[in-house]
Order: sequence, then C-alpha cells, then structure tokens
Amino acid sequence: MKRQRRRSGPMLTVAPAKELRSNTASITYRFSSKPPLLIPPSFSSPSPRAPFPASAIRCGLRDLRERIESVKSTQKITEAMKLVAAARVRRAQEAVISGRPFAETLAEVLCDINDQLRSEDVDIPLMNVRPVKRVGLIVITSDRGLCGGFNNSIIKKAEFRMSQLEKLGIYCKVISIGKKGNAYFRRRPSVCADMFMEGVSFPTAKEAQVIADHVFSLFVTEEVDKVELVYTKFVSLVRSDPVIHTLLPISSKGEVLDANGNSVDADGDEFFRLTTKEGKLSLKREKIMRKKDYGLPQPLWQFEQDPAQILDAMMPLYLNSQILRALQESVASELASRMNAMSNATDNAVDLQKNLSTVYNRERQAKITGEILEIVAGAEALMDF
Amino acid sequence: MTLNLCVLTPNRIVWDSEVKEIILSTNSGQIRILPNHVPAAIAIDIGILRIRLNGQWLRMALMGGFARIGNNKIIILVNDAEKSSDIDPQEAQKMLELAEANVRKVEGKRQTIEANLALRQARTRIEASNAIS
Repeated sequence: MKRQRRRSGPMLTVAPAKELRSNTASITYRFSSKPPLLIPPSFSSPSPRAPFPASAIRCGLRDLRERIESVKSTQKITEAMKLVAAARVRRAQEAVISGRPFAETLAEVLCDINDQLRSEDVDIPLMNVRPVKRVGLIVITSDRGLCGGFNNSIIKKAEFRMSQLEKLGIYCKVISIGKKGNAYFRRRPSVCADMFMEGVSFPTAKEAQVIADHVFSLFVTEEVDKVELVYTKFVSLVRSDPVIHTLLPISSKGEVLDANGNSVDADGDEFFRLTTKEGKLSLKREKIMRKKDYGLPQPLWQFEQDPAQILDAMMPLYLNSQILRALQESVASELASRMNAMSNATDNAVDLQKNLSTVYNRERQAKITGEILEIVAGAEALMDF
Repeated sequence: MTLNLCVLTPNRIVWDSEVKEIILSTNSGQIRILPNHVPAAIAIDIGILRIRLNGQWLRMALMGGFARIGNNKIIILVNDAEKSSDIDPQEAQKMLELAEANVRKVEGKRQTIEANLALRQARTRIEASNAIS
C-alpha cells in the first residue's frame, strides 16, 4: 500500500462532526500501516467565528498545555488592568467635574472685566494678537502603554496639524507631555520639541503650573505667536476625540492671522469654552454656582489695583485652569481606552483559550486512540501465529 | 448680614459658606471686607486669608489669585489654598527649610524667581499653621 504522507490530509479540525468521522477513518488507515507518528497536522481555519492562525503548528501536547497556561495568566493580567482602569476612570471624571466651577467662574469674570476694560487702554500681553509666524503645539499623550489607539490618534492629529501649518509656511514647535509622545518625537529629529515627562497619574495644579509657566514665557518672549493644545477630549466611556484648542492668544475665532492674513485656526478649534457638557456622566451641577442672582446689569467693578495688575493676576489662573483641564480630560480618555482595550484583550484571551483547549483535547484523544489501535493491532498480529 | 464666600482652586472647592467678614492680603496691602461692600475686583498675593465666623478667626493660606466681590458674594479664585487645620506644622517647617536652601543655591533669573516664590509660599503656610495658638 502506498503510504501517502498527506500533510494536509487529516485535519484535526474543530469542525462539524461529519468531517471528523472521515478523519478518524483515515487516521485508522495510517496507523495500521506504520508506527504511530504524530504527524503534526496543520490546522486550517476551522470555525467561521474564530479563525485560527493557519500557520500555527501544534507540536504536541506539552506545548499546547504550556500555551494554554500562558494564555490564562495573560488573561488574568488584562482583566486586572481593566478593573483598575475602570475604577480610576471614575475618579478622573470626578476630578474633571470638580475643576469646573473654577474654570467657569474664571471665564465669566474674564469676560466681564474685558467688557469693562475695552474702553480703557489696557495692554494685556496674553491677548496680544500678532501675525503668526511660529506656533507652539502642546501635545498630551500618556505615560504608559496598553491603552489601545489613544496615543496613536493624538499623535496623528498633531502630525496632521503640523503638516497643515507647514503648508502655510508656519514653523512649529512641539511641547510634548507624556512618555509616549516624547519617545515618538525623539525619533523625529526634524521636529523641534521640548519634552516634559509626567510622572503622576492624576494631574494636579502644580504640574499644570509648570507647563503654564513655560508656555507663558514662550509666548511673552515672542518665541511663538500662537499656542495650541492638542489633547483628547473625553466624550464618553467608549469614545474620545482628539481636539485642538487655542490657548494663546486669547481672542475670538478668526482673529488670529498669519503673515498673509489667512486665519490659522484649525477646524473645530474650541475657543474659550464656557460649555460644560460632559459625556454620559451627568452629575448634578454644583448648586452654589447656579445661584445666579445677578439678574440686574453688572455693576461697574471698582478695581482695587491697576486693571493691568488685576489682569496680570488672572492670566496665570486662566492658563493654569485650561491646561489642567486638558490634562485631566486626557487622563480620563486614556483610562477609558485602556479599559476598553483590556476588555477586548480579555475577551480574545478567553476565545483563544477555548480554541486551544479544544485542540488539546482532540490531540489527546487522537493519541489515546492511536495507542489503543496499536495495542489491538499488535494483539491481532500475535494471534495470527 | 453675612457674606457668602467661595474659595475655588482648579482642583476643588475649598470653602463655600457664609462668613461675617474676611481679611485679604493683596499686592497693595491688606483689605478687610465687610458686608455690603461695593462690587470690586481684587488681585490677591501669596498670603493669608482670615475669615471671621461665629466670633472665631480662621486662617487659610492662599497662593495668589483673584477675588471678585458682588452683592455680598465673594468669589476667590486661587492657584492653591490650604486651611490652617490641614497644614502639618513639621512638614511646613521642612518645606520652608528646603525652600530657603534652594534660594541660596539657585541661579539663573527664572529659577531665582521661582525659588523666591516657593519660599514665600512656604512662609505663608507656616504662618497659617501657627495661627491657632
């Protein structure tokens, strides 16, 4: 009898039962003609639902067992990470919410004072609208990985913005926050970048202060004419969008122009937002801030000090609060993406484990069957004598 | 007549209730605010905020910011604020010593300014924590 080494022959597949019966038949055939050799069958994609890697060769029970163990332990890790991220995302959302009264009040007050000071001749360095030749981009990424497409999408947005600006002939300087962004920009020597590393999980006012000071000095010394924040806005637990927010100068939309008089604002740029909507999380508004008994027209403020001094005091607060809010939203989105990514990973691990177990069982059974047949054949052979 | 005082920092709301009067330290000196004050906008320096409540004076260390006074409603927006009860005296003392050492050894204009700022902040915290004595 011709021995046919049918490599692709017997498929030990996780397949409908009919096929299996024919498989066992062919196995029987083979095993009776030569000593049992576990020819490693190559598995093609069995079930339509979970395609197996076609090139994976199962070389034996022991390897399979080890593999199943490793998948199990990986699954434990990813599940733990998902739970941790889920717990922290709530805290991050709360942090964003609790920072809101400050930001809102500040925005209101700035508006009021601006209205009042419009008639007077006050020179506010941070509202200084100059023709834009250089732009500073603050890009906020995460420190740790395993967060799905989070860092990727923010870096893509930043790159897109940079190419947009370059087309207009505007030089870009990148201030990168977060290890992942730093690593990326370090590999791109063509881009001039300042690096900041954030070591803490929850951004506090102190870190925001450091960045704000840096940005402030860059703007005031005219090293950059416009500062934009690129961060991920937290829309909901399953969705976050990278957005661009103009930080400086503080002006209304369309006012900031480059040397040729074209507006350099990005599409969907958010200016001086007074809005307070947040994804699915709707908490009760802090009641104190809603007690609006200013029904009457605003009385004229009496300035204790020089208006310029007062605005000087407010600008750092404004910068701080904007940067802090961007940081907090980024952290919340990072945690949400990590939670989703780890949840997917856990599901995949479960599937993989199931498949591997099935394959392992079949192999085990095939081996046992082989041994039985061997014994029977041997006994038969002996009996003939 | 009481004043409704809100002290806000970027992280949280530090104080929100009714008080009788407050004393602020500003760039141009200390100001005492009583009920029915005229609406005003004030820049606050790094210093102590004193609050009078039920005949008691409470202190809070403020790290610079801004105050707005409306119809008997005061809103203080600061970078950071700490109640004197929340400040640990030993820790504050240690920070003060660190800040002083830093000021002596630092160089460069910007660092000097920052170091001086840190020193003033540390001093303010010590002052606030020493209040209740």
